[in-house]
Amino acid sequence: MTNLTLRRWLGPLGVMASLLGLFFSAYSTYDYTEHLDRQLHGTHCSFLPGLVDASAGANACTAAMYSPYSAVFRTTFWGGIPISLFALGSYLFFLSFSVYVWIAGAGASRRTLQAFGATAILPVGVSVVMFFVSILRLGGICKLCAGLYVASVMLAAAGFLAFQRSQAPRQSASDTVPNAVYHADSRPTDAFLAAAARLSPPRPGHIIVIPIFLMLLGMFTLVPAAVYAASLPSYTSYLRSCGKLIEKNETHHALVKIATKSPKQPALLVVDPLCPTCKAFHERLVDEGIFENLDVEVAIFPLDNECNWMLDRAMHPGACVVAKAFLCGEKSGKSRNVLEWSYDHQDELLDLAKGGKELLRAKVRNAFPELDRCIDEKDTQKRLEHVLHYAIANKLPVSTPQFFMGETKVCDEDTDLGLRYTLGQIAPGALP
Amino acid sequence: MKAPFFAFGIIGTVGLAAASLFVWTQVKSAQQRLEHPPTKDNSQVAAVADHAEAPYCTPQFKTVLQRVLNACGLVGQETRRGCQPADVKTIASINDEDFNALFTPLSERGAILLFDDASDKLDDEAKKLLQDRWEDRRGARYFFIVSRASKTGSTDGNRSLSHKRANSVMFFLQETTKEPNLEKMVGMLWLGSEYAQLGKDYCSGWSNSRGTGKPCTTDAINRSAFTSWVDCRL
Repeated sequence: MTNLTLRRWLGPLGVMASLLGLFFSAYSTYDYTEHLDRQLHGTHCSFLPGLVDASAGANACTAAMYSPYSAVFRTTFWGGIPISLFALGSYLFFLSFSVYVWIAGAGASRRTLQAFGATAILPVGVSVVMFFVSILRLGGICKLCAGLYVASVMLAAAGFLAFQRSQAPRQSASDTVPNAVYHADSRPTDAFLAAAARLSPPRPGHIIVIPIFLMLLGMFTLVPAAVYAASLPSYTSYLRSCGKLIEKNETHHALVKIATKSPKQPALLVVDPLCPTCKAFHERLVDEGIFENLDVEVAIFPLDNECNWMLDRAMHPGACVVAKAFLCGEKSGKSRNVLEWSYDHQDELLDLAKGGKELLRAKVRNAFPELDRCIDEKDTQKRLEHVLHYAIANKLPVSTPQFFMGETKVCDEDTDLGLRYTLGQIAPGALP
Repeated sequence: MKAPFFAFGIIGTVGLAAASLFVWTQVKSAQQRLEHPPTKDNSQVAAVADHAEAPYCTPQFKTVLQRVLNACGLVGQETRRGCQPADVKTIASINDEDFNALFTPLSERGAILLFDDASDKLDDEAKKLLQDRWEDRRGARYFFIVSRASKTGSTDGNRSLSHKRANSVMFFLQETTKEPNLEKMVGMLWLGSEYAQLGKDYCSGWSNSRGTGKPCTTDAINRSAFTSWVDCRL
């Protein structure tokens, strides 16, 4: 394919890339805004989101959405401003710009093409950053995000073509156009003139064109986000609506204090070491830089009927053993290690427990041999019972995780998208 | 060169307007759902943490227990501590045998602390057994002390003696457990020798502080304090 043919694709390629980007950013925005009602919703995690229903439960798109990288200004607005809105606005700009370049054809100025080239490579830069964040921090790529990555690569290709076209050297049409296109009287045919126009270098255009288009890109990018921010409801009345601790102090010292780097904000975590939601929440607190600011006590609350009489069957078999190891770890300052180890090996531990608790016990013993004896001690059992009675005294729901800032319970609905905003409102000291 | 500019302007303006409308509609729809949330399905609401509820917590057992707790100062106004024989007889509203039968399911969970004749002093074995039972709380809310006296001696003397036996158990728990909420956890009944005497059959099948191998008479088994956690929600 010649350069000429490739350059003809500039406009259509830009349009296709922009439409693709619009499609995926709109679906991503749709999924995000659905969650503004503080209820649980699925996400469209598919390359063909319109054809597949939103899926509930854990998937890469939900993980990406709940991550700190999916939105900005999370402390100012509940849920923040999703970055998909910026993508939506910018792809609208690129759609308009691509149509402009397509229609203008050979008439597009050198500066205009340079502006297109310069702006069209910006999305791919963002995509590269987000791709590495996905791989390195989130451990997977969401399909909606992948759609945006593809769109940005296509757009960058269009930008490259525009840039190449803007650099076309001045040359004579007769150098490249065969003689056959000349009339016998040596007058050029219409085809010749058209070819000559395509091949002739673009007119220079004014330098101001580049900042104007950059400004327009900025405006397009910001408008949907501004509309979003302006239309958000007030969440303040909901933040403290989930109750308080009735008895803050646990008189038997059954709660475990976890050492953090900068313990400023008193907090209580009610967690089960084998609960996937607890794991996700813990990781969120750590990723957001919140955990190290907490003066945190943990009420270990295994959802396993082996030691927890509040359940008639084990939701997380084996959780009692790990919970006891966690309690035992306090003396040697290893409780946090036990908790984070159990989160890191959660799937494996749950699988082991299915095959018999002894297998899980052996795994724990292998990881923390010094705690093995303590796990079976009467005092450990008693301490665990004190934690469970503490839950009763505070009329806590039989569910995990639960998060208290001081005495105030952070609503479950505010522990994901709205976490930073909520903490900013009720416990600013917890934020980094 | 006007056509490209027009196209840019029209697509840009219409596109931005449509995107803004889409965003605004989405947010307002979420606001509507936020302000008027759907009614929660009760099956989806997590239960609230509560005490254990063992199979022996029959309605009759719970009725008697509730009456005793209400009347003996464990629930509501805590102006009294414990119940004496006359109270229990009235409160329980059941005959001696039925009253004792209510506690039969606790044979594994409970223990009978035996005292010497005319004594309210807990011996070492009784203390050890009491401590063991106390520490095996699990999900129980209440700990019961039901003390008795043998028929030897006067009625008043036996009332007083069984009261002292109940207190001995209570004092021991106060000293050893340092439990700040002990008063709210322990229910005391002292039955003297007038009500719900234990039969000799209680010498076996129940843990007692002097072991099952030793001689045990009806008098001996009634010189006692029955103790147990009760795994019932009231």
